[in-house]
Amino acid sequence: MDDGNLTDQAAAALGAALAAEHAAIFAYGPIGVRLTGAAAGQARSAEAAHRARRDALVVALTDAGATAPPAQPAYALPYPVTDRASALRLAADIENRTAAVWRAALPPTTDTDRANALAALIDCAVRATRWRRLAGVVPATVPFPGKPA
Amino acid sequence: MPVRYRAEDQQYAARRWTRRGLIRAGAAGAAGAAAAYASAGCGLWDRQPDPQPSADPLDAVRLDALRLAALCDAAVVAYPDLASRLNPIREAHVAHATELARVIGAPAANPASASPTSVPVGGAIAALAAVRAAEQEAQRTATRLCLTAPASRAALVGSIVAALATHQEVLR
Repeated sequence: MDDGNLTDQAAAALGAALAAEHAAIFAYGPIGVRLTGAAAGQARSAEAAHRARRDALVVALTDAGATAPPAQPAYALPYPVTDRASALRLAADIENRTAAVWRAALPPTTDTDRANALAALIDCAVRATRWRRLAGVVPATVPFPGKPA
Repeated sequence: MPVRYRAEDQQYAARRWTRRGLIRAGAAGAAGAAAAYASAGCGLWDRQPDPQPSADPLDAVRLDALRLAALCDAAVVAYPDLASRLNPIREAHVAHATELARVIGAPAANPASASPTSVPVGGAIAALAAVRAAEQEAQRTATRLCLTAPASRAALVGSIVAALATHQEVLR
C-alpha cells in the first residue's frame, strides 16, 4: 500500500476491510475477558494483529486520498459472550468475517495492495483455524477460507 | 526419427547444440558440426517445434491440489491413524482441483490420475512433515499466481492459498 493510488473499487474494498478490522478489535475485548491462559494470550496477539492491520489501512486509505471510515463507539455482537465456549466461537466467527472482507479486497487490488490483502486473509484464516482447534471444532479447517457461505 | 520431444526438451537440446556447435565450430567449422549432428540422427534442424498449447497458469495450482490429495491418500494408507487429520485436508484439495478445473476449463480429474505418489516412510510423524512441506511448496506457487491473477480469479486463488496455510497449521 505504498503507491498512494487506488481505484474506486479498491478504496471501497479496503474501506470495508477497515470497518471489519474496527469491529474485530472491539469484539476481542469481550472475548478476552472470558479466556484464560494460552487462549487469553492468543486473543491478545490476535487483537494486536487486527490493530496493526487497522493502522496500515488508515495510512493507505489516507495516503490515497480515500475516506478511512472511523470506528463506531460500540458494535452489536451477534450473540452474548458469556463463557469460554461462546468466546471461542465468536473469535472464530470474527476471523471468518475479516477473512471474507480481505478476500473481497483481492480482485480490485493489485501489486502491494493485493499482497497485503492476501497476507491478511491468510492470517485471519489461520487464526480461525486455531480458535476452532481450541474449541474442539472438527475439522478445524475449511476448504475455501473467506468464501461467503 | 520417430521420437517426439516435449517443447522444453527441444529447447534444452537446442541450447546444448548451440554450445557444442560453437565449440566444434572452432575446430572443424560449423557446417561440419551440423553434418555430424544430422548424421547422428538427431534431426534438430528440420523438426518444427510442437505447437504445444500454453497451459493455463492456474493449471499448476490444480495439479498441485491433485498431487496433495494423492499424497494425503498415500499417507493414510500407510498410517491409518492419520485419517482423521488428513481426510478433511484431502477433501479440501479435491474441492480446490474441482473448482479450478471448472474455472480454467480443464477436464475433471481425480487424485488417482496424479503422478504416482510414494508413500512417506519414516513413521507417521515423518509422513505429516512430508505433507506439510508439500503444502508449503504449493502455497508458494499459489501465492505467486494469486498476485498476478486477473480480478476474476484472485479471490478463488487467495482462498486456496489461505487453505494451504491452515493445513500447515493443523499439521504442526
